[in-house]
Amino acid sequence: MTAKAFLLKDKKALIAGENKFWTKPVAEALAAAGADVALAAKNNSRLEEAASAVGKTGRKALPLSVDVTSSTQVKKAVQQVLKEFGRIDILVNTGDIPFFQPFLKIKGGDWNKVFNYNFLSTLNFCRAVGRPMLKQKKGRIINIVSGLGERGMANGSAYCVATGAVQQLTRALALEWATKGITVNAIGTGWFAEPGQTVDSSLTRYIPGKRYGRPEEIGSLAVYLASDVTEFTTGQIMYVDGGLMAHA
Amino acid sequence: MDEIKRTLEGKVIVITGGGTGLGRSMAFRLAEEGANIVVAARRLAPLEETVDGVRQRGSQALAVPTDVTDPTQVKALIEKTLAEMGRIDILINNAGIVRGERPKALWDISDEEWHTGIEVNLCSAFYCSRAVSKYFAERQEGKIILVASGEGFRGQRNSFMYNTAKAGVVNLTRVLALTLAEFNVRVNCIVPGFVDTYENQPEDYQKIMAERRKTRKLFVPVGHSGKPDDIGFVALYLCSDASEYVTGGCFISDGGGLAGGFATTGYAPEVSLKEGLA
Repeated sequence: MTAKAFLLKDKKALIAGENKFWTKPVAEALAAAGADVALAAKNNSRLEEAASAVGKTGRKALPLSVDVTSSTQVKKAVQQVLKEFGRIDILVNTGDIPFFQPFLKIKGGDWNKVFNYNFLSTLNFCRAVGRPMLKQKKGRIINIVSGLGERGMANGSAYCVATGAVQQLTRALALEWATKGITVNAIGTGWFAEPGQTVDSSLTRYIPGKRYGRPEEIGSLAVYLASDVTEFTTGQIMYVDGGLMAHA
Repeated sequence: MDEIKRTLEGKVIVITGGGTGLGRSMAFRLAEEGANIVVAARRLAPLEETVDGVRQRGSQALAVPTDVTDPTQVKALIEKTLAEMGRIDILINNAGIVRGERPKALWDISDEEWHTGIEVNLCSAFYCSRAVSKYFAERQEGKIILVASGEGFRGQRNSFMYNTAKAGVVNLTRVLALTLAEFNVRVNCIVPGFVDTYENQPEDYQKIMAERRKTRKLFVPVGHSGKPDDIGFVALYLCSDASEYVTGGCFISDGGGLAGGFATTGYAPEVSLKEGLA
């Protein structure tokens, strides 16, 4: 049950981007808190699952098949959401495609793809949603990032750089729109796995909480950051990571 | 080569905790570059060994037995240095309790242990910096160097006093730098990672460190602990004119430790874009 202060009653949310974990649990959490949820991603089974999870809460779901790396398609999708919902109160950017290769083996095209999925998609949606949010003098932008935006890891060059770019976009946009009623924050993630997914036992031992996170564990933070009580909270990266970033 | 003036020729550098460990190795490195060294710590015997080493390198040296957690003794240290050496150019706040002791359960840490840990690792740097600050400010010149630790940027189980105090040292550096900037005083912080300094430490400590050395290297991306001069050369840079415009900074030499911290050292997954997009 969502605490009353955090309820998102009748708010309109847009969850955008390609990722393995985040769309469904975030959509479910926002809908359970009272929001109607539009979903923009490649048309695949994950998008459908998320839409049906929203439907089960009794809120409206609006799944849109979008190439999130195309600014033209993103603009069109945002127009469509505005047409159907009338406004967008909450934008959650979820772009997060895992990609780990030795630096010299990464092809130029792969760098572009990782950047397009993990950074450019967020940029596209911030640009498209920024204007209507500025007009309504209110908005919540929540970017899902990884702690690898602050920490290095071997074979992680492309991924680290892209998620680090989103972290800095979060801080810079937060300041630019600090007096415009729009907050921009990020949910920082550590190691996550879905139930049944193979995990690395050395990492399980490494995480202070001694387990991987479950994707649904970021839902409540998304609701909190989307709610009205956080209007003074902006430019922050808040971690859901079992203590990973606190230790060496 | 002999014709070239050594870069710190004639400078007077006060190093707290200069009898052992990093303090001693910094003293030797800086003495080799011509600096005259004043070392201050509680025990006289190790200080005298450092003094001998400094003199062997052709520099002047002075040992001033000092409890740096006692502001009165700290004041006396500065006064004695000025009386005997005529000047102070640089203060290096290096004193600290290296974590030789076995960790205790949180509920077993006494008030006294907490206070001592904070006093030695954090307050001492404040007392020494305060004691020299007016002299530096009036002279419109001076450098203060603090020594923190990678632990000051991260948490660690059971390491209450050390990690808390070292985090304090990092921010003390910034506050001192901003406060003293207008007086042309530069304040910076050296951040060592794991450095093997146990050769000149007490025997029981050596034993613990030798044990730890084996496991520690597992946590250092470059695969081995640092050597004392890895820090000595950072000190040299910060003591020299090369760092004239540098203040409020943290200079980390830790074999890459702080660059990581998301996965076990050496962890290098391989996931293709095809798998990632699946």
